[in-house]
Amino acid sequence: MPTETGNDIDRSTRLALYRSQLEIRLLEKRAYDLFLQNLVKGTSHLSLGQEAVAAGFAVAMRKDDYTYCTYRGHAHTLARGAPMVGVLGELMGRSIGLMRGKGGSMHLTSVEHGAMGSYAIVGANLPVAAGAAWSAQLRGTGQVAVCFFGDGATNIGAFHEALNLAAVWKLPAIFVCENNLYMEYTPIRSVTAVEHPAADRARAYGLDPVIVDGNDADAVYRVARASIARARQGGGPSLIEAKTYRHSGHSRADPGKYRPAGELEEWMKRDPLALYRKRLLDLDFGEAPLKDIEKAAQHAVDEATEAAKASPPAPLEEIERDVWDDGGSSWRN
Amino acid sequence: MQVVMPQLGETVAEGTVTAWRKQVGERVEAGEALFDVSTDKVETEVPAPASGVLTAILVSAGTTVKVGAALATIGEAAEARAAPDERLSPVVRKLLAEHGLQASEIKGTGADGRITRRDVLDHVERHKSAAPAADERRPLGPIRKRTAEQMALSWRTIPHVLQAVEVDFYAVESARTAHGLTYLPFVARAVCEAIASFPLVNASLDGDALVVHRRVHLGIAVDLGADGLIVPVVKDAAARSLPDLAHAIEELAGKARARKLRPDDVSEGTYTISNSGRFGTLLTAPIILPPQVAILSLDSVTKKPVVEGESMAVRPVGILAQSFDHRAFDGAYSAAFLRRLKEIIEGKDWSAALTTASG
Amino acid sequence: MAELTYREAVAAGIAQEMERDERVVFLGEDVGAAGGVFKSTVGLLERFGPVRVRDTPISEQAIIGAAMGAAMTGLRPIAEIMFSDFFAVCWDMIANEIAKARYMSAGQMSLPLVIRTANGAGSRFGAQHSQSVENWAMAVPGLKVVAPSTPADVKGLLAAAVRDPDPVIFFEHKGLYATKGEVPDGELVDCLGTAKVLRQGSDVTLVALAAMVPRALQAASRLQNEHGISATVVDLRSLVPLDTRTLLAETGKTGRLYTVEENPRLCGWGAEIASIVAEEGFYDLDGPVVRITTPHVPLPAADALEDNAVPTVERIVRTVVRTAG
Repeated sequence: MPTETGNDIDRSTRLALYRSQLEIRLLEKRAYDLFLQNLVKGTSHLSLGQEAVAAGFAVAMRKDDYTYCTYRGHAHTLARGAPMVGVLGELMGRSIGLMRGKGGSMHLTSVEHGAMGSYAIVGANLPVAAGAAWSAQLRGTGQVAVCFFGDGATNIGAFHEALNLAAVWKLPAIFVCENNLYMEYTPIRSVTAVEHPAADRARAYGLDPVIVDGNDADAVYRVARASIARARQGGGPSLIEAKTYRHSGHSRADPGKYRPAGELEEWMKRDPLALYRKRLLDLDFGEAPLKDIEKAAQHAVDEATEAAKASPPAPLEEIERDVWDDGGSSWRN
Repeated sequence: MQVVMPQLGETVAEGTVTAWRKQVGERVEAGEALFDVSTDKVETEVPAPASGVLTAILVSAGTTVKVGAALATIGEAAEARAAPDERLSPVVRKLLAEHGLQASEIKGTGADGRITRRDVLDHVERHKSAAPAADERRPLGPIRKRTAEQMALSWRTIPHVLQAVEVDFYAVESARTAHGLTYLPFVARAVCEAIASFPLVNASLDGDALVVHRRVHLGIAVDLGADGLIVPVVKDAAARSLPDLAHAIEELAGKARARKLRPDDVSEGTYTISNSGRFGTLLTAPIILPPQVAILSLDSVTKKPVVEGESMAVRPVGILAQSFDHRAFDGAYSAAFLRRLKEIIEGKDWSAALTTASG
Repeated sequence: MAELTYREAVAAGIAQEMERDERVVFLGEDVGAAGGVFKSTVGLLERFGPVRVRDTPISEQAIIGAAMGAAMTGLRPIAEIMFSDFFAVCWDMIANEIAKARYMSAGQMSLPLVIRTANGAGSRFGAQHSQSVENWAMAVPGLKVVAPSTPADVKGLLAAAVRDPDPVIFFEHKGLYATKGEVPDGELVDCLGTAKVLRQGSDVTLVALAAMVPRALQAASRLQNEHGISATVVDLRSLVPLDTRTLLAETGKTGRLYTVEENPRLCGWGAEIASIVAEEGFYDLDGPVVRITTPHVPLPAADALEDNAVPTVERIVRTVVRTAG
């Protein structure tokens, strides 16, 4: 593992990493509260505890790079710059939602910010990310596609097909497995033939295994920076396994009782946010900039919450809009 | 039983079914023509070998098969039909309702005697041509309506009297033909000159006064065929020379036929000429256009024998008939106007009139 | 005018569009170097090169996913799925992802892609390589569905599909690849969602798709010559968008509708047609709507079995004769 404190990451980048993680944390907590208030319906999959992965990559990416994530995608979408009010609005089914209430929590998309969809079918986003990478390669733009998925996805067919194709075609795609130890309610190790579900499969595609501490934003950032640069220069795809942990259950409905006693507490000691804050103080950033960021982030989340609450529910006309490019849904004349 | 390709000649090995005479499901009688066949030796029709129902056709028309090959099957007659199918399909119900028919009136030719759409439509078609043609109702067009109103009003309010003179158009003739004109402009010019001597015919009744118009705005009735009559007006006709008058009449008539007349063109007429010449009539009693008090009809001009001195001559003769409003003046006045008109037509130097500006 | 085979028309259509628009790219299994297992894409690799024409591994999900990712980032991909039966292998990508991406993103995502495939029976390939699955695609909101019956329609509708801004599933019929037809010279672009009346009759209306179209035409001929029944034949050409106007008009003229469908009975596309006509053309019907379909069975492999499972000309004729009264 690279040294924890290094001067290969400049101050503004570190502040950006802190801010990104913090905004994700605060927004996810707010989403949880709104769910308890019955303002967020259905289900949502929170990224509490996994902020470092989203932030580490987002800060390393170019504005025109592509992000593909899963139903646990609030963090990634937000980290690419999608507006908070759009995310909260979408969760609450309001007109101001990123997708006007049409997609919901599991499908957050902001093409404008390169957030090319959150995919609710496990593994589906890998082939699509490969396609976007192929497109970038063909068009010669230097763009890359970064694809986030969980440990469970490494066992589904689409994972294999996408990695193989990306490797054979040397696509500028970075596949990031956020291994939070649990495939929904089941420990990943009990259903996987190898110990590291992603890293131990890399060689099958001619790729180097890469494991990173997913709770250390600097570590993630370094790996992100390197793999993205490699891809951009035509070096082909990477498969990265980020070890992390989720603080809540799989989804809203899940209190996470399948976790062994003490496991959560152990991981909470490695809370990425607490970890990073301490590092910044150790690096003599001083409280002031951190407090500024914290104040601003809280303010932003609060404002976004009020704005989202004030937005009217999605109008019924939306039901029959946007099946086709012409904005309609007609299948006949 | 099977129907097979027969041997139609000693050396014939195959044949072509050229047409089937019966359809699947149809009853056939033994000996009745079932299909036509063609071989290199002969074209002939082949009878059904047995009676029954043609249950299947195995070989379509145009197919060539070996002698003995199976072509069709004839089976037992179908069981007696169940009670006729009285169900009505949606389109049949709709058509019956539309045409005010009862199902009992229609013969059904569908399966089990069902009434089909075609059955209803054929019934309607047959009865349409059998029924006597209804009277046709033709709504009146706008010009027809307006003409009708005007004519009725005129007839109701004006006591019409008709007077006529027979006119010899000999004096007009050579000038007329030399310049390719009709009689109308000559009559129009003569009317203007006659009005000068008999101004009351160029007037309007206004309550208990007769308004005698100083100027002659001459209306020329134009027939628009199916679209009715329209009367464009030549303004200040008396002030115009004959060529000018001829030209103005021509122009207005053209505009009328092209439906390009403006309100100004048909207003303020003071006297009207109705030219029926080309219809071949002898005499017409025209209807006055209120508020005018007279109207002249020019009918056909034809060669007739006339007495000249003590001998006979062949002259172009036509009748000029004036209807006048008896409230405005009496027969003597009208007659005098007509005699003057006749004098002018028969005596004026028309050639000169055509060549001078003031003619 | 030139006479092309149906398979030549496929290559010609793809070539026309790739020539016209550099964003059009093509991928699939054995489509490049080998010219396609049905030889329907011969010459494209040579003409457009290995960057725009790509041979893939046997990875249906990756093929369709790649098409989706490319389409949402500015390209206009044509992806081949060798046999339409294989849609089952990548159905998530087609039905859950491609069909829904625009809707779920409220119009942010644009997926101007074409998935072309070889559909239909007649080649004795057995149950997993002979299906007609156009009705599967019809049932998923967000997919346009096209199934041409002639070479000219192949070229023109393929061009229209490529130019369409929405996802189009293009069902070629493997049994028609060798058939020939006149194709106009020059650029050819047809119109999705338009049916064609190939034969005008007055007694019954036959509505058919793809390989069932020539059979319906032959049946119409026999119906006229042998039974005096005058049949209209409509080539539906597109299931989505559906030309309901022509459907209702042509059914209205005769009052009798017959669908001729190669797909298995239940929930075949004709069921939808029949339902629309029963609802909107009810008062024009002079008799029940009759569907002539393959029975609800997997397709058998033996030639005599396969040939008689799918509607034959004979079965079409017999069914109409039996029920047209």
